[in-house]
Amino acid sequence: MTPRDLLPPMASERPLHPEALALLLADARLPVAGHTQSAGLEPALVAGPVDVPAYVALRLRTVTRTEAATAVVARAAVLGGTSLEAVQDAWAVRTPSAAMRRTSRVMGRALVRLAPRLVAAEHVALLPCEPVRPVVLGLLAAVGGLDAATTARIVGYDDIQTVVAAALKLTPLDPAEATGWVVRAFPALEGLVAGVVDLACPEEIPARNAPVIEDHAERHAHTTRRLFSA
Amino acid sequence: MLDPQADFQAHTHPSAAGRRALRLGICGPVGTGKSSLIMLLCSRLAATLEIGVVTNDIYTDEDARMIRAAGVLDPDRVVAVETGACPHTAIRDDITANLIAAEDLEADVLSAGAALDLVLIESGGDNLTATFSPALVDTQIFVIDVAGGGDVARKGGPGIERADLLVVNKTDLAPYVGVDAVQMKSDAVAARGGGPVVALSRTDESSVEELLTWVRGQLAAHAGGVLVPSDPGPMAPHSHAGGPGHSHAESPTHSHAHSHTH
Ligand SMILES: Nc1nc2c(ncn2[C@@H]2O[C@H](COP(=O)(O)OP(=O)(O)OP(=O)(O)O)[C@@H](O)[C@H]2O)c(=O)[nH]1
Ligand SMILES: [Mg+2]
Repeated sequence: MTPRDLLPPMASERPLHPEALALLLADARLPVAGHTQSAGLEPALVAGPVDVPAYVALRLRTVTRTEAATAVVARAAVLGGTSLEAVQDAWAVRTPSAAMRRTSRVMGRALVRLAPRLVAAEHVALLPCEPVRPVVLGLLAAVGGLDAATTARIVGYDDIQTVVAAALKLTPLDPAEATGWVVRAFPALEGLVAGVVDLACPEEIPARNAPVIEDHAERHAHTTRRLFSA
Repeated sequence: MLDPQADFQAHTHPSAAGRRALRLGICGPVGTGKSSLIMLLCSRLAATLEIGVVTNDIYTDEDARMIRAAGVLDPDRVVAVETGACPHTAIRDDITANLIAAEDLEADVLSAGAALDLVLIESGGDNLTATFSPALVDTQIFVIDVAGGGDVARKGGPGIERADLLVVNKTDLAPYVGVDAVQMKSDAVAARGGGPVVALSRTDESSVEELLTWVRGQLAAHAGGVLVPSDPGPMAPHSHAGGPGHSHAESPTHSHAHSHTH
């Protein structure tokens, strides 16, 4: 028996509860190959010792903020009936690392695999070609009734947990302590949410680059000895 | 009477995939010869079949590089999947990365004007409990070797007992590691309730032929639409009190080791 058989496609007349959808999207058990991602922590550790909470905070201020903004704007585009293509283009020019763009496309594709189980197929057809993760997430948020703040919070929360879960694999420690890091990042997470919640058009997506993280991502893509995809 | 569980007990369907390549998984403990078996299959079948390989490894692409270096396949036909130190998850409970890799490989070959017949997926060398999800592979080989000890086959486990084929590899080494390969094979056959076992050595041509015959049989069954992916499980086998609607995925065409003479 396969997962396909267990879960019939969601009929459009049975709307999801937005909070349940938010929990689903933030759950590490969602089958989107999350175990292959370290949110750049693995190459950062290769480059030298990493203060994990500081690394999390850096990401929330920079690349993750751009990603969350993209998801919020993608959501607004779907609700306003404008093009997701333009949102994706705005994201791409603000994501200078080819490796990071590639990673986002792969993660977007993993979400697209699930999308027909979450929302009606006609919505999935709105996605641009090779949709990146925040664009797919924004679409699911719009159709699934998530508000902008929740949309941004999912992106930020997932990023924090991805880093911390990878840290538990790469530099093991008491997982209770690691969970303390996650909770202590919550104020910064709310800062991210407040910073992107009102964005509506592609030009407003902030270009929050982190050259060190981008450089790591490029190097990582060319190493031959990596545990995590990115 | 209706089974009260029938609502959530999904029934198995034959693979609807008429056209796509047969996906053959190869798993088993570290160093038992999974990559070697893939290279063997490629070198013997690549003249007649379009083959692609997906590797899962601890460090990204060690296996992929080894297979590319063997020169048995166009290097572009070999792709590596990172497992984030979770080789078990990547073939079992979240197969997304492997599915995407297999789909991409098939699409790339298609856009180059050919079509894959066979995709070989090597699991990261894990332990005796790791087996492929039938949602990822159509059929799977579990590989153990004589050097791991003569008792391994008898002790069993999901892959040993219920993979579509069990390979007991490196029989040429048996005298050097104090293992009776014939006994080990008969233990394996017993542990599998008579299911197919190939006692393999790359230096024993008749054993290689036996392996190739099994693979060709799976390809034919897939092409004929009668290959039903089955799950070796992690769970011990169970039996029901004969209620209807509980047909478990047991391959209807377990072609047993044909007789051959040395
Ligand atoms: N003597 C002998 N050695 C073999 C045979 N098949 C494989 N080997 C050797 O066994 C060793 C391990 O083989 P691999 O194919 O790398 O094993 P693997 O299962 O892919 O290993 P991991 O991917 O690291 O888990 C290599 O040194 C092979 O040359 C065989 O039939 N006889
Ligand atoms: Mg190998």
